[in-house]
Amino acid sequence: MRTRRHLGALALALLLATTVQAEPMRRFALVIGNDEGGSDTRPLSYAREDARKMHGLLSRLGGVSLGDARLLLNEEAQDVLTTLSNLEASIKAAQARGERTALLVYYSGHAKDGALRLGVTRLPFDTFKRRLADAPADIRIAILDSCRSGALTRTKGARRAPAFEIDSGATRDARGLVILTSSSADEDSQESDAIGGSYFSHHLSSGLLGDADCSGDGQVTLFEAYSHAYARTVADTAASSAGPQHPTFSYDLAGNGDLVITSLRASEGLVVPRTAPVGAYYFVNPGGLVVAELEKAPDTERRVALAPGTYRVKRRMEDRLRIGEVEVRRGQETVLEESRLRDAPFSDDPVKGARGRGSFWTAGLTGGYHSFFNRSIRETLFLSVPMLGAEANLHNYFREDWVWSFDVALGGRAAMLNLESLTGASYRYSALHLGTSLTTEWHVGDLAPFAGARLTYLYMGRKFDGAVFPDQFYSTFSPGLVAGLRYRLLRSLHLTGRGRIHYLTYNVHEQGAANPNSSLGFWELAALVTYEL
Amino acid sequence: MRNLWPALLCLLAACGGNFSNEDLEYLNALPSREALASKLPGTDTSSGSGLAQRRDRLVVGDISQLYIDTRKASADFNASLDSLLGLLENIRTVPPTTREPDRRTWGPWPDRNQPGHQVRFLMDRAGDSFDYRLQFKPSAAGEEAWWSFLEGSFKADAGIRVGEGELHLFIDDAVAQGLNVGGLRGLKQLDVGYQNKALPTRVEMIFSAQPTPPLTTATQVRYNYRELPGGLGEMRFLLTDTDAVPGNLREDVEITSRWTPNSGGVATFVILQGDLLGASYRECWDAQNKVTFAKRSWELFGIGKGSDCPDLSGFDG
Repeated sequence: MRTRRHLGALALALLLATTVQAEPMRRFALVIGNDEGGSDTRPLSYAREDARKMHGLLSRLGGVSLGDARLLLNEEAQDVLTTLSNLEASIKAAQARGERTALLVYYSGHAKDGALRLGVTRLPFDTFKRRLADAPADIRIAILDSCRSGALTRTKGARRAPAFEIDSGATRDARGLVILTSSSADEDSQESDAIGGSYFSHHLSSGLLGDADCSGDGQVTLFEAYSHAYARTVADTAASSAGPQHPTFSYDLAGNGDLVITSLRASEGLVVPRTAPVGAYYFVNPGGLVVAELEKAPDTERRVALAPGTYRVKRRMEDRLRIGEVEVRRGQETVLEESRLRDAPFSDDPVKGARGRGSFWTAGLTGGYHSFFNRSIRETLFLSVPMLGAEANLHNYFREDWVWSFDVALGGRAAMLNLESLTGASYRYSALHLGTSLTTEWHVGDLAPFAGARLTYLYMGRKFDGAVFPDQFYSTFSPGLVAGLRYRLLRSLHLTGRGRIHYLTYNVHEQGAANPNSSLGFWELAALVTYEL
Repeated sequence: MRNLWPALLCLLAACGGNFSNEDLEYLNALPSREALASKLPGTDTSSGSGLAQRRDRLVVGDISQLYIDTRKASADFNASLDSLLGLLENIRTVPPTTREPDRRTWGPWPDRNQPGHQVRFLMDRAGDSFDYRLQFKPSAAGEEAWWSFLEGSFKADAGIRVGEGELHLFIDDAVAQGLNVGGLRGLKQLDVGYQNKALPTRVEMIFSAQPTPPLTTATQVRYNYRELPGGLGEMRFLLTDTDAVPGNLREDVEITSRWTPNSGGVATFVILQGDLLGASYRECWDAQNKVTFAKRSWELFGIGKGSDCPDLSGFDG
């Protein structure tokens, strides 16, 4: 088997020598990211972010003009097919002008039971593959980063190794279909908070930025990128609880030549000079996420096509780190100077992982009812009132499935005093609640029960008609507990039922008197409609 | 982090408040101008310039002079209430300083209007009965030096400031303690008693003036105001040093005015001092406050017809 692989690699090397550059090729890209996969799946954290990265990378380095690239985030199957049709129309128009064309479709999201899962909709593998096979582009490349995506390649040409065979009768200009998948037909594709994305897409992106440029020619071909992503994905997931994840590669090509996916422009980016120490380099963005990696070999100059910006550079050594900072300027080539790195202990690792990565906001409106447990209190002092409010919720910020919420609610009603020695004074009672909650939720299909703690600032006031008595108010902080059930009504629309109980101290009473109303409790029931931003 | 603590302190400072049902019951015991003021119809719109020299010849259709006198008395009555109850108004605007069982205390505070003095307001409660005191003391003096400038009591009867009460302003004590009493200096004491829990309501105001040498006893001026069912009202007051009848002397007369909500009123006066001592006079006016009937007791015939006087049978019940 090893011999066969070496032969394949040799054939590939020959192929690389004839990398397709004979004539310009117009490239089109459809990039799809969807965190949701329907009721029987758990939302992904980074699918959309991976798609954004790939869209940016293809636009910046992949020769895809912005007008020829489409980015679909959390869209449904029909949206994908419609967009694909639109792109096909553009491709035909380009071909009519005599242009060679390539179509690259990238998908990051759920796949299950023989279909891509786009929210609550499905796009069967067969349908998707047939659409790609029938697409008018000269070369069609599909990259699927999803669980069990290897099922798409299983029927034909699937390989669990980077080696693959080249048809001996291939002609010069390649035409056909290439499919890359992030995992085999029976494997899950894994995400990592540490890298802030899926293993496969991360290493594919890193490879396309330069790490996969084994030949050092400043171009990353499809095969180079796949080989790199394969090796690194297998290595990174080998020790994971889900087991190693094996990307697959399928091709149905006529002609010859490997397709250049990204060109590492000499005029911009970071150069690691020939004299730089060997080893693994990591380039970390200000958010603490590794955006690119580079395995530096001896006596080779390497190039990493980082976007303009400031990065921290890390090189891992046996007993310490070498870290430093580098600024990549637009339109300039930046050389990484070893003298700008310094020794640092492992505790100073600039890689922070995906803190906040995968987090998202939801906003919503609430309607509910608020009432104190003590009957006397709710009838004569702090009244039971309906409440209307708004909420903003930050999901997965502290950790996955934790929700940090901020809410405001207003309520009020007209009432009449009915005290021992005083009746008949009409007034308007108002309540304002400003709160924050920290909850954790558990996903069971479309349902997500949740529970947590909260703190509310309460302001309750009353204003008497005709100013017969002065306005009164009471404000305090009130800790409480919250629990409820969230239901996914539509793809981005949630319906929530929620209950809260609170404690508060009431201190406007007589000194020296035992007041049974010093410690009060109230409850709230509310329905909430939220929209995922 | 440096800005976090001030922000937290600001939030904590926003805690607390004055939301209290018990406080409302205490405040309810303090009389208000609206509850006690006399309500004479047409007070805002009628013409006339107040007390004037009486004319010898009165004809039907003239503006009723006794109505004008009544309106002046009503305005004086309400103004006196204003100045007295104004002392209590400030109490309503601030929450109690101390809440004790059956007691609320506002202050003590230095009184900016009475330099060198501290002021406090105490209210005690026993069921639905309340007693209150506005007290002063010299700033440097001890607790035993508090003295009462105003004292009052109220027995609540459920509604808003509805009940029976009284209050007393001890002006001579204030002057003796060195308090600046302003325009009240000529008075010795002011007493108000009222009942507004049921019609007819009653407000009685007694001004006790300092004796004028060579007299040694205080003179009193009383206002009695009643409000009856159906919008009927009555004001009884003393008018002193007025030229009520022809003669060389000036007169003191007691006037009793009764009015209806929209068909005029009737006033009688009795001469208590001056010319024609013991003589009386009756005058009726219509909704436009114009004389419809007038008759002096010493004359055989009056002017107008007695049947044109408004129906005041509601006062007989």
